[in-house]
Amino acid sequence: MNAPQNAKKKILVIDDELSIVKYLEALLQDNGYATVAAMNGNEAMEKVRSEKPDLICLDITMPEKSGIRFYKELREDPNVAAIPVIVVTAVTGYGGDSETFRKFLSDRRQFPPPNDFIAKPIDREEFIKRVAKVLAAAS
Amino acid sequence: MSTGWPCEMASAPADSLHRAGWPAEHEAMTTQDIREWVRTELWDQVPVRIAVIDRNLRIVEANRAFGRTFGPWRNRPCYTVYKGRAEKCVRCEASESFEDGVARVREEEGKLPNGEPIHYLVRIHPIERPDGHIPFLVEMSTDITMLKTLEHEKLEAERLAAVGQTVAGLAHGIKNLLMGLDGGMYMARSGIEQGNPERMIQGWGILEENVARISSFVREFLEFARGRTPRVQLVDPNEPARKVMELFKDTARLAGVELTADLDETIALAPLDEEGIHSCLANLVSNALDACDTSDKSENHVTLSTREQGGVIVYEVRDDGQGMDYDVKKKVFSNFFSTKASGKGTGLGLLTTRKIVQEHGGKVSFDSREGEGAVFRIELPRNRLPQPRAEADDE
Repeated sequence: MNAPQNAKKKILVIDDELSIVKYLEALLQDNGYATVAAMNGNEAMEKVRSEKPDLICLDITMPEKSGIRFYKELREDPNVAAIPVIVVTAVTGYGGDSETFRKFLSDRRQFPPPNDFIAKPIDREEFIKRVAKVLAAAS
Repeated sequence: MSTGWPCEMASAPADSLHRAGWPAEHEAMTTQDIREWVRTELWDQVPVRIAVIDRNLRIVEANRAFGRTFGPWRNRPCYTVYKGRAEKCVRCEASESFEDGVARVREEEGKLPNGEPIHYLVRIHPIERPDGHIPFLVEMSTDITMLKTLEHEKLEAERLAAVGQTVAGLAHGIKNLLMGLDGGMYMARSGIEQGNPERMIQGWGILEENVARISSFVREFLEFARGRTPRVQLVDPNEPARKVMELFKDTARLAGVELTADLDETIALAPLDEEGIHSCLANLVSNALDACDTSDKSENHVTLSTREQGGVIVYEVRDDGQGMDYDVKKKVFSNFFSTKASGKGTGLGLLTTRKIVQEHGGKVSFDSREGEGAVFRIELPRNRLPQPRAEADDE
């Protein structure tokens, strides 16, 4: 395991599937990151404000508050708007969430796009590489 | 330029008008002329097939359009002329109108003398004597074959579009499952490598959970895809609702939700695929209970109701659960879209419901406000319901 230079950076994992939350947390911890988790948009917003993570891994389709609404709220709050976001989604390309997400962004140009998109199922090495890259760019 | 006279509306050729004694100048017409024209010419000129049948179901009078469409008719049984049948239809609307004196409108599929099918909309009007006896019925039929062909083509196009969406949705579902399996394997293996039994057990649990999800996913997907032929029979429309109430009463009680039924017991029998309607209502009630599960309220209610309004059978499932926001409402009928917790929904329930309801010629709709609940409504117009199975088998 290669502990990156930015070890102990804190990453918030948001997904409504517990198994995916556990998986991403274990993977990130094994690569030297601290993690916190949330399973819907409301809980995630609370965690963002209380934990001030360095990076957010965001699922889109979630109950109560979707990833889209969470992202809008995040970017609207100046205290947390600068936190980088990587969208981790299963829908890529056809009529699903990522398209909705892209449309949402193009309709509201005042919001910057997420820092990266990663398709589920993730390639572990690629995922860790991109996390490191986004964190490096943000710092 | 149109003068608005009946001769123009019926597009009657000039010579036939003169044969009927129609005056050369419209201005010279009298009320008597118009009556005469209606009696002698309109009967044969209207683009509607009109037949008069007696209580033995024999056609005793018909207009020219009827003969041109259905062939020889005099004193022949209506079921033979319209449908090429040797025996009376299993459900005979004409006999019902002779019995109760009520006018009816119904879509039918018949057979032309050349063997081609014809779809027609028939209006049945009883002719009642002052003493209440009904010696005859008038049946007025409009050819809607072209309309049905277009409707069929539209449905086929929608079906093909749905195949594309289904494949894309299937890929989405599989990606999520792969992610879960991959995660389970990673945790089990890294747990072994790190000598961390807790993580190993967690990984194993994730693997088990995802294998169970695959089973449920495949089962639901096959059920959706196999295109089961609806088994349509004359049933009490409240019967599937009663069975669904029975099915969910314990689940609701355990979830602390008050589940009540408000069934209109006066609804008459209707040709329905009872199992299909049962699946639809079970999906809607199950969704309503799940919506209550994530509600903030201390008490929740779900009501399943039935009623008939203007010839439309209506099922309604109302809950005061979490309701839906704009993002969710837009995707309610999308394949594999689910807001339910992990393992609770594959996102096919409402799609299957809509498919079954469309097979009954009806529609599903919903109203919802975030935080206030939702009401899902199935509307089945009687004149669009499919034929009962027994009759379809006969033909």
